[in-house]
Amino acid sequence: MDYRKCAQEIYDLVGKRENLVSAAHCATRLRLVTADNSKVDIKKLEDVDGVKGVFSSNGQLQIILGTGTVNKVYDEFLSISGMTAATKADVKAAAAAKQPLPFRMVKALGDVFVPILPAIVAAGLIMGLLEGMTKIWPDMATSGTYQIFHLFSNAAFVFLPILVAVSAARVFGGNIFLGAVIGMIMVHTDLVNAWSVAGMMEAGQAIPQADVWFGLYKINLTGYQGHVIPVIIAVWFMSFLEKRLHKIVPEMIDLFVTPLVTVLVTGYLTLTIFGPVFAQLEEWVLVGVQWIITIPFGIGAAIAGAIYPLTVVCGIHHMYNTVEIGMISNTGLNTWMPIASSANFAQGAACFAVALKTKDKKFKSLALPSSFSAFLGITEPAIFGVNLRLMKPLISGMIGGAVGAAVGSMLGIGATAYGVTGLFGFLITTKFIWQYAIMLAVSFAISFTISWFLHKDKPKDEEVAAADEAPALPEITCEKGKVYAPIKGNVIPSANIPDDTFAAGVLGEGVGIEPVLGVVYAPFDGEISSTTDTKHAIGISSPDGMELLIHVGVNTVAMEGDGFELFCAEGDTVKAGQKLMTFDIDKIKAAGYSTTTAVLVTNSDDYAGLDIKEGACEPLDCVISIKE
Amino acid sequence: MKSFTYTITDPVGIHARPAGILVKAVKPFQSTCKITKGAKTVDLRKLMALMGMGVKCGDTVEVTIEGPDEDTAAATIEKFFKDNL
Repeated sequence: MDYRKCAQEIYDLVGKRENLVSAAHCATRLRLVTADNSKVDIKKLEDVDGVKGVFSSNGQLQIILGTGTVNKVYDEFLSISGMTAATKADVKAAAAAKQPLPFRMVKALGDVFVPILPAIVAAGLIMGLLEGMTKIWPDMATSGTYQIFHLFSNAAFVFLPILVAVSAARVFGGNIFLGAVIGMIMVHTDLVNAWSVAGMMEAGQAIPQADVWFGLYKINLTGYQGHVIPVIIAVWFMSFLEKRLHKIVPEMIDLFVTPLVTVLVTGYLTLTIFGPVFAQLEEWVLVGVQWIITIPFGIGAAIAGAIYPLTVVCGIHHMYNTVEIGMISNTGLNTWMPIASSANFAQGAACFAVALKTKDKKFKSLALPSSFSAFLGITEPAIFGVNLRLMKPLISGMIGGAVGAAVGSMLGIGATAYGVTGLFGFLITTKFIWQYAIMLAVSFAISFTISWFLHKDKPKDEEVAAADEAPALPEITCEKGKVYAPIKGNVIPSANIPDDTFAAGVLGEGVGIEPVLGVVYAPFDGEISSTTDTKHAIGISSPDGMELLIHVGVNTVAMEGDGFELFCAEGDTVKAGQKLMTFDIDKIKAAGYSTTTAVLVTNSDDYAGLDIKEGACEPLDCVISIKE
Repeated sequence: MKSFTYTITDPVGIHARPAGILVKAVKPFQSTCKITKGAKTVDLRKLMALMGMGVKCGDTVEVTIEGPDEDTAAATIEKFFKDNL
């Protein structure tokens, strides 16, 4: 076979260099990411001599060439296109990069926050309880135990940039310790604590400054306590720079040059550009918010109540203390507090609705305490852990918060102090007990209701129903050369199964299914050709000669049958949809194995190729069809 | 005809993964390759049949190879068993 000719034809049919983003190969396939998949002539690609099949998934174009051939075609392909070799990871990243930017940013924010949630949930609950209790018993604030607890409650918030930086470095592929250093620079004790800035300005104290960029301008030497976005931007830049340097710096001096340059450049840019730009934006938001709340008839309050959670996302909310201090000194009444309180309470309610409705136990155990923390006025866990990730609860909370804030404004609620919101807010709104209660009730009711109706568990979040309760399946007529889903779950290409042997197609081509229900049904009418004592794998052959392996989980052979039950034996004749096996998803996960189940046509070499259907599948949806 | 016997030492026996690799290793040869455990004999090229035998650790199997390239095939397959199983 002429590898050069094959590569040249593929190159022409995918739209040449200008339509190619990256190219990689695995054991059997050439994997391409194209700028525009519609420019690819898949029909003609399939006719190229040497190509055994073509399919496109997740923004990747996969061209099946077969073992031993693919690497030679790939080499020719690189030389024709002038591209450099990419790894499989690069191709996946490039495919992910095709999603729209706002979507990717929210996803990145979520990826950064999820690992550090336990820390801020703990801190949030301690802080909420502690602040409330000192309003009830003011004497408590002077006790030594309180001071120690207070330390615990705000440690995670004071040093939040370090937690965020470490997590972000992991997400963006930088060194996590260098990430930690960037976070530490941003909250260094030699910088003025961000929480103290408002008070210092109020007291007329000067904020220390430093001139930078050879005297071009001055920056305030303030820290970034409680901040999130500038930290993520800084660490994103750091990771980018570090990875670049690793590539261009000679290996001999890489170990000291790369970290040195990375920290110097990132640190300087962070304190002189990223940080100040962000601080300026915050300043403007603050001015804008102060203007908005002057709009009468509760409209201004409603707008402020709606956007409040977004400012929490950006970490600007601590600046509102300035507004509140100003209000109290001017009129003696803090009318900002009811807006914040309503917005916080609504986020808590939206999160609470998700907590009650979700059937995913793990998610419930996160959402419930997060919502309690929000009711006490600390919303970070609820917003970052639940609402922002699902988006719908965030919006529900914004609506509830807006209506609540409008009600609060029209009832004329004002607080006599600042620093607490939510349930403990009663303690500083003693003149407006009933009004404050009505406001919280309104924001709770609206936010909870909307969030409750909008929330739906994703298929994979559904609690796994007991296998015995699995409904009987309708009878189907099997078509020749088709495999019907044996398991309810999510279908992925077999190349993405988290196991090299399966992914490389050693046992044949096919699909992986990430199961949501632990029942295996017969995928077509046929005969059971093999079972194993460990009960985790079944072979089945169809009358027209297709051989299929259903292998539940990866490395599950080591479980020696624990959690698996077989309902068929070798030599049995089975009908499509007949129950063949049950397995315990939780047990497999607990044993530390992937539940991804390989459904492979073991004699796929006999066929021209397979068409697969990715995504969520119900049992007996057609997932593999043999190409004629 | 060439043949050898081998006692499996891999703790999990010939399960899906080694079976798949074994079948791949046998495929290039023209000779007929069969594996026997007790009274049961199957074609080494047939993944399903091989897995269906349920060869476990400690089982002794006999492999027979017959055909034009039986010498090289026998050597390769025996080495595969020693290295992997």
